[in-house]
Amino acid sequence: MTAKKFARTVIAGGAALALLAGCSSGGGDTDGKITLDVWTFGGMGLDEAFATYQEENPNIILKVTNAGGSDEQAQALTTALAGGKGPDVAAIEVGYMSQFKAQPQNFVDLRTLGSDDIESSFLDWRWSQGVAADGSVVGIPTDVGGLAMAYRTDLFEAAGLPSDRDEVSALWPTWDDFIEVGAEYRAATGKGMIDNVNSAIFNPAVRQGSEMYYGDGDDDLIYETNPDVQEAFGYALDAIDADISSRTPSWSEAWNAGMNNGDFAVLAAPAWMMTYISQQAPDTSGKWDIAAVPENAGNWGGSQLAIPAKSDHPEEAFAFIEWLMSPERQLEIFQAHGNFPSTPELYDTEDIQNFTSEFFNDAPVGPIYANSVASIEPIFEGPQQRIIDTAILNSLSQVENGEEPAADAWSTALKNVKTALGG
Amino acid sequence: MVLSAPPRSAPAPQRPTSPKSTKSTGLKPRRRIKSASRVDAFAPYMYIAPFFALFAVFGLFPTIFTFYVALFDWNPIGGQTFIGLDNFVTLYGDERFWNAMRNTFSIWILSTVPQLLLALFLAQLLNNVRLKFANLFRMTMLVPYITSVVATTIVFASLFGRDYGLINSFLNLFGIDSIDFAANTFASHIMVSTMVLWRWFGYNTLIYLAALQAIPKDIYEAAAIDGAGGFKQFFYVTIPSLRPVIIFTIIVSTIGGLQVFTEPLLLSAPGLTGGAGRQFQTLSLFMYEQGFGNFQFGYGSAIGVTLFALIVVFSVINYLLSRRITSDD
Repeated sequence: MTAKKFARTVIAGGAALALLAGCSSGGGDTDGKITLDVWTFGGMGLDEAFATYQEENPNIILKVTNAGGSDEQAQALTTALAGGKGPDVAAIEVGYMSQFKAQPQNFVDLRTLGSDDIESSFLDWRWSQGVAADGSVVGIPTDVGGLAMAYRTDLFEAAGLPSDRDEVSALWPTWDDFIEVGAEYRAATGKGMIDNVNSAIFNPAVRQGSEMYYGDGDDDLIYETNPDVQEAFGYALDAIDADISSRTPSWSEAWNAGMNNGDFAVLAAPAWMMTYISQQAPDTSGKWDIAAVPENAGNWGGSQLAIPAKSDHPEEAFAFIEWLMSPERQLEIFQAHGNFPSTPELYDTEDIQNFTSEFFNDAPVGPIYANSVASIEPIFEGPQQRIIDTAILNSLSQVENGEEPAADAWSTALKNVKTALGG
Repeated sequence: MVLSAPPRSAPAPQRPTSPKSTKSTGLKPRRRIKSASRVDAFAPYMYIAPFFALFAVFGLFPTIFTFYVALFDWNPIGGQTFIGLDNFVTLYGDERFWNAMRNTFSIWILSTVPQLLLALFLAQLLNNVRLKFANLFRMTMLVPYITSVVATTIVFASLFGRDYGLINSFLNLFGIDSIDFAANTFASHIMVSTMVLWRWFGYNTLIYLAALQAIPKDIYEAAAIDGAGGFKQFFYVTIPSLRPVIIFTIIVSTIGGLQVFTEPLLLSAPGLTGGAGRQFQTLSLFMYEQGFGNFQFGYGSAIGVTLFALIVVFSVINYLLSRRITSDD
């Protein structure tokens, strides 16, 4: 190699390195200030808390990116991690958590930053959703969904059903009773009582046991044999048979319209859904109320906050998460946005016990949601959790839409799960 | 012929004199000419280099890399294991793949055939000399094409809605029961095809229009003298003259049709399966579901490679057909 060639190589190499360096340092730290890159998605209700933290910590610059929905956020995070990058703090919706925590090497094990000290303040089953199979703590819980049934008092009265929330809760202590009420509603009004069987029946029911699709390890697949899964599946089929569904897919335009138009009278509502309903159907204020979910336990949604392994400031990121998810902060978030705290020490306080919702006919939503999350058992979720879930739910939707006979539904579901896992 | 290449017999452009050569530098003339011609020979490549550099980075490399990834069990945020052709073996035995293939072809045919016929018809109308404000109408043709696909899909999804959709309200007027367009396989293909048709018909109309305007008037006059009416002129003059352009639009529609993605993705939201029964999941959406939804980049890449091969095969068939047809002229 001649001197000239050598010099050229060095220059080219240097330029390439400079390019790489320019790409990898996401936020340059200027004037001794530290930039924390925070990735969230819509509906988390954290904006005011971010502003407060920014005011209280002038040395930290929060750079918040809202990806839109939880699916977009999961895809953005996947792409970033695959490219060896990522933010300092990433929100991951629980539905995606099992996929991410199956690869814990992408994240800082929060035990190294002191997560053991705060573990006891969270619901144990909720905490476990952020713990990987090897025991490393990948994510700190944000809010907890909890589960209740939001129902329309006006439509219940028109159908000749009781409309008082305690009486309504008493109507359906079990899922069989719930389906029975739906059949009465159909007979009286000719309409479906629930939005769809996946959201209103299968999802809540299947999470009321202690196991779902996995036993106690990544390789211990029990979706086929677990009686809880078959039972929940059976309830959904019974509900379709009794014709209690309005066949309105969740998150569709028709769903949003239906909240206004009274196409359905009952909606499985985790705490964060209260804000969604009040935004989608503002004119129905006071016509909704909240009753207990059958079997009185359930959860839908919530997220974990994780720190990708490539973060330059894991300590600062963890301190931020610790502050953000402290009981005091979670209470403020709940009061402003309805996202229910995952820290049970708050549940017996007056702030929660006396919390009512004007939109929902002054229902005491604080104690209702506190009750729904108290009796939940931790469920182990393996890496293919969401894939299995999708296959089973799709099979139920096919029956609900009249595209497949109910008799074949379970075997179709199993076949679809096997295809999905084999692929 | 409108879309043919510039005539090959055109004389080679005069090589411009390099500015350098005009400077009097005192160098020996012979050497000066040599270096100038070397720069000149190199210059065109430099001008087109930006495109090819970007194409290599964003087009060629990803394509080749996809072939490589397809040979692995590749988790984007986890491990990678070389598994040879296993992904392809699994894929060709995967009924979801064949389902997506059927959907893709069904949507392609349902969108392309009516689309090109409609475009031909509209082009014929727009070419009418008695048409007032012709340019306004011609411009309008492009509006669906430049409208955001997302906006189009949202509007069409509500038109096709089961309970409140305008189309079902219309059908109900005639005593026809509401159709659940999103749930039923064939109906969902009609819905997706309509959106694809809406997006592309204007583009094809303008291409046909340009071709129509290039047909010499005297051919029509001769036909008229020979006693050919409007229809006969259309079938014996217009269509044969348009043949190369029709072939071109078929090729472009085929490549586009095999890659339909955005419409089924948005209709599928929040899932990626293209309906609960995968009734309108296209190959592109299936690829996306496997890669980004299920973290199986290897399997997703195998789908991508297959789709690539499929498009190449179709393009070659189209090319051979078009060469045969154009040489008939």
